[in-house]
Amino acid sequence: MSATVAPARSGMTSASYAHVVWAEFTKTVNIWLSYPIMIAFWAVFPLLWVMPYVFQGKALVGSMSSPSFQQLTGSGNYMAFVLIGAMISTFIFSGLWGVGNSLREETYWGTMEYIIASPTPPLVILIGKTLAEWAWSSLMVAFQAAIIGIFFGVQFTVAKVLPVMLLLGLLMVGFYGFAIAFAGLTLLIKEVQGYVHTLEWVFFLFSPIRYPVQVNPITQLVSTLIPLTWALVAIRSIMLVNQKPVNLWRTVIVLCAMDIVLLVGGYFLFVWLERKTRRDGTVGMH
Amino acid sequence: MAQPDAKPLCPTITGSPIARLRHYAHAVWAENIKEWKLELTYPADFARGLIDPVVYLLPYLLYGLALVGGRQSANLEKLVGTSDIVTFVTLGYVFIGFLNMALWAMGFSLRKEQFYGTLESVFAAPVPRWIFTMGMSMHSILHQTLMIAVQIVFITALFNMTVNPVGLLPSLAIVGLMLVALYGIGMIMASTTLIFKQGWLISEGLGSILLVVTPIAYPLAVLPVFMQKVALTVPTTYGILTVRHFLLGERMGFSVTTAFLRVAVLSVVWVAFGLIVFALIDRYTRRSGTLSHY
Repeated sequence: MSATVAPARSGMTSASYAHVVWAEFTKTVNIWLSYPIMIAFWAVFPLLWVMPYVFQGKALVGSMSSPSFQQLTGSGNYMAFVLIGAMISTFIFSGLWGVGNSLREETYWGTMEYIIASPTPPLVILIGKTLAEWAWSSLMVAFQAAIIGIFFGVQFTVAKVLPVMLLLGLLMVGFYGFAIAFAGLTLLIKEVQGYVHTLEWVFFLFSPIRYPVQVNPITQLVSTLIPLTWALVAIRSIMLVNQKPVNLWRTVIVLCAMDIVLLVGGYFLFVWLERKTRRDGTVGMH
Repeated sequence: MAQPDAKPLCPTITGSPIARLRHYAHAVWAENIKEWKLELTYPADFARGLIDPVVYLLPYLLYGLALVGGRQSANLEKLVGTSDIVTFVTLGYVFIGFLNMALWAMGFSLRKEQFYGTLESVFAAPVPRWIFTMGMSMHSILHQTLMIAVQIVFITALFNMTVNPVGLLPSLAIVGLMLVALYGIGMIMASTTLIFKQGWLISEGLGSILLVVTPIAYPLAVLPVFMQKVALTVPTTYGILTVRHFLLGERMGFSVTTAFLRVAVLSVVWVAFGLIVFALIDRYTRRSGTLSHY
C-alpha cells in the first residue's frame, strides 16, 4: 500500500492539488445545497439572536442611543454595534464549526479513511473546505448586510466596504490557520464539540461581539490577544465613527503579525497532529 | 427463559391504578438515573456544562453596564419599578435553562436514543412513550436546578445580588406550574424528531424566537405589540415576570392570581396539545414504518 501511496503523492502537481481543492469545494457546496432551509436559517437567525440585545438597550436606556456607550466606543448607536458584531462573528463561528470540525464530520460520514488513504495531503482537502466555508459565510453575511441595510438603516458605502473587506480578510486568514490546527486536534481527540463551545465562550466573553470589552479591565486586557477584537474595533470605527481607513495602520500591522503566527503555527501543528495519529494508528477510531 | 421475566410486567401494567403509577414512576426514575450516568461518564463536559450558563450570562450583564454606565437604570425603574439591571437580567436569564429543557433535553431525547441505537428498545418497553420523555425532563429539571444554583452563587459573589427572601416559596410555586406547561411543549418537540429526524433546526428556530419574545433581559413593554401577544402564550413569560415580581418587586401589568391562573390554563392546554400531537405522530411513524429511519 505504502509503495502506491508514496509515488502518487510525490507525483502530484500544483494543478492536481488545485483540482482536489475545487472538487472538495464543490462537494461541500453540494452538501449544503441539499438542505436549502439552512440558507434561510443562517441568513436570518444570527440577526435574530441579537434582537434581545436591541430590546435590552431600549429598556435600559429608553432611546436608541446611549451616552455611556458613546464614551466607550465612540458611537452611541448600540443597535448597529451588536448587528455588526453578529455579522462579523458569522465568519468566525462558521470557520470554527465548518473548518475546525470538518474532519470530525468526515468521520461521522464514514469517509475519513478515504481522505487519509488518498494521495492528497489532508491539508489540501482542508484548504478546499476552508474556501467553501469562506464562500458560504460571505453569502450569509451579504444576506445579513442586505437585511441590516433595508430594515435597520445601517449604510454600506463602497468607501466603507473596501477597507472593511481588507480587515476581514486579514482577520480570517489567521483565523483559518487556527481552525486548521483545530481540525488537526479533532484527529487526535475525536469528539471536540465541548472544546468548540468553550471557544465560543472565549469569543463571546473576551471579544467585543456583543458588548464593548472596555467596560471591564479584565475583559479589556484579555481581548487584546484575540484578533477578532482588533478587527471588530477597526470595522466599527469605519462603519459607525467614519474613521479614515488610513488611520488604522496599527490594526493592520497587528493583524498581519497575528496572521503569520496563526498560519505558521496552525500549519505545523496540523502536520504534527496528522503524523502522530497516523503513527498511533488511531485515525479510524471514533 | 422469557416466561419468568414477562409474567411480572403484564400484571403490573394492567393492575390497579396505584400499581400502574408505581410502575410508571419507576420507569421515570430509571430514565433519569440513566441520563445522569451517561452525563457523569464525561466529567469534563459535565463541568463545562455547569460553567456555560454563567459565561453566556456575563455578556448580557456587561452589555447592560456599558449601556447605562453603572448598575442602576432610571428607564428600567420607570418601566417596571426596579432599577437594578444585574439582578433583573440574572433572574430573567435563569429561565433560559428551563426553555432549553423543553426544546433540547426533551426535544432531542428520542434523537439521542436513535444515535445510541436504543430507540426501538425504548419504544418496545411496556410503558407509554410519554413516560420516557418525562424521565428525560426530570433529569433535565434536576440538571437545570444545579446549573442555576452555580449561576446564582457566581453572580452573587461577583455582583452582590440581593433579592427578597420572602418571595422564594411563591417563586418556586410558579416555576413548578410553569414546568408542567413546558413539559407539553417538550412533548411536541420530541415528537417532531420522529418525523424530521434531524430536529435540531426546529429546536434552534423555535428557541431563537422564544428567546426574543420572552422578557428575559427587558420588560414586555419594550416589545412590539404583536410580540407581546405571542409572549403571553409562552409559560416562561409568566414564570419570569412573577418570579421577578416576588423577588425584586417588578410591576407585571396583571395580578399574581391572574399569573397563576394563566399558567395553569397554559399547562392544561400545552400538555393536552403535546400529548395529542405526540400520540398522532407516534402512530403515524409506526404505521409508515419510518421509526427506525435515520
